[in-house]
Amino acid sequence: MIAMLPGLATIGELKAAAKEHFRARGLGGDDQCRIALLIQAIKSANAMILAKVELQALDWWAYRLLHDQYFKETEMATLLGRTARWTLNPAVYWDAARITMKLWQDGGIARHLTALFVPSHRFFEYLALSHAFMAEIRFLPLLPTTWDLTTPFLFALNEIEEENGRQIQAQIRLLKDVKAPAIAPAERERIVEEQRRIVLDLFAEFLRSMLAAA
Amino acid sequence: MPVLSYKGLDAYYEVAGDERAPLVAFVNGLTMRAGHWGPYAEALAKAGLRALTFDLFGQGMSAKPILQLDFRENEDLLIALLDRLGVEKAYICGISYGGVIVLELPIRFPERIKGIIPMSTFSELDAILERVSFNFYDDMVRGSFDMLLNWLTVYNFSPRKLAAVAADFASAKRSSAGANDLYAIQNLMESLKNFKGFTSELAAIECPALIMNGEYDALTPRHFHELLRHKIKRSRLMLIQHAYHAFSLEFPEITQRLLIDFVRQVESGRWKGDQTVWVAEDRADARPLAFPCPGDHTRCIPFPKAPGAKTPKFYSPDDSE
Repeated sequence: MIAMLPGLATIGELKAAAKEHFRARGLGGDDQCRIALLIQAIKSANAMILAKVELQALDWWAYRLLHDQYFKETEMATLLGRTARWTLNPAVYWDAARITMKLWQDGGIARHLTALFVPSHRFFEYLALSHAFMAEIRFLPLLPTTWDLTTPFLFALNEIEEENGRQIQAQIRLLKDVKAPAIAPAERERIVEEQRRIVLDLFAEFLRSMLAAA
Repeated sequence: MPVLSYKGLDAYYEVAGDERAPLVAFVNGLTMRAGHWGPYAEALAKAGLRALTFDLFGQGMSAKPILQLDFRENEDLLIALLDRLGVEKAYICGISYGGVIVLELPIRFPERIKGIIPMSTFSELDAILERVSFNFYDDMVRGSFDMLLNWLTVYNFSPRKLAAVAADFASAKRSSAGANDLYAIQNLMESLKNFKGFTSELAAIECPALIMNGEYDALTPRHFHELLRHKIKRSRLMLIQHAYHAFSLEFPEITQRLLIDFVRQVESGRWKGDQTVWVAEDRADARPLAFPCPGDHTRCIPFPKAPGAKTPKFYSPDDSE
């Protein structure tokens, strides 16, 4: 059971507390391990969903974007694994497993594994969910701006977050430009906000558990 | 933290100064945040004025829509903020991207605007600005937010300033990247995707206007401001010496003094919006603050202006005269 942190209700407050946490404590093995496991879980889940694009006929431009993302996500999922300072603290792994389960459950990952990429309600949910993964899960803004980014772990983290900016273009273009008359603009907005909240809630839970364990 | 909920989106804002004093609202440039205007809010409050700063949708602590964002929604947001504060008429100051909002507001809402201070901005694109804007966008989406900041930095500041902050440059960029979200800035840029020049509409602006342009602004050079001066009847063009695109950040004391002086002149009925061209003194404590531009301000080569000669008119395809 994760201890509650009274007073830290919003994601903004949790981010501010995490900034202070990193500033005061640096980035130790436990935290590197937590970050690596969260990002691996997200990238792996996204890669699993994207894998089906290789078996499915799509317009060229959409195929190109999603195909590129599939391979990039597979690469990114491994980067931190090779640079993190792995901890011997078993509680970190229990906690990571709990957060990964929350990701699969709240994000409805299993539902997206088999559904085809067609302009449907579910496809928009997937696009909004994966947009939020890349837009909302950002660690660099939480770290002191004076830290040296050439150390292996931070170099990989920076690489991943910069790559997210490039890969998110697939989600942006598909969310904005795919014609799906059955999904009204207001419904698209609702889907985007709903999926964003799922990811923010996941990130909040991650930060809460990291801070509670410190 | 004051927040206005507008059409389901939260907008972050701050107000400083006496609530009975004339209010100046500050509109951010593309990657700015309300906090950048902090020293202006402080200076205005000290001068007996009131300042409103806020983050546009897509910036800083305001909501960041993911799907479409209409450029005019940020103009509507500012009017909603004035409504929230119970301010009937206000002065509007903004730079670059925010300067376009400043120029459109008195056309759309003339009854709400007392005066405008557009800085480093434009009412139409020329072939270079169109290409540069595309390059900014393209480098950001295909490269990184960092690449956008690299470009903006070299346009924004003087070599002296860049040399002085060289040691902190990487840290400052990370701070900006941390406070911004690529997708949200992209959305703000895409809100201008169908931008059409509105130079011919500037003649509808009746309120006083202090137009400011840096001496060496290569991003939005002189001719964009010259168009504004020609079209806005009660305007003056103020050139800021030694300045580049983001002079409000590099020379805040000079800019603040010019701004405060403009508001005081308008409030006391002394403002002469005679479409003349002025050069600001390069010391914030200088008296007077500015002197009439002695040469041809449209040229980089300092040709003297012949006595009685009219300023050469800049060609604009949008120009109906």
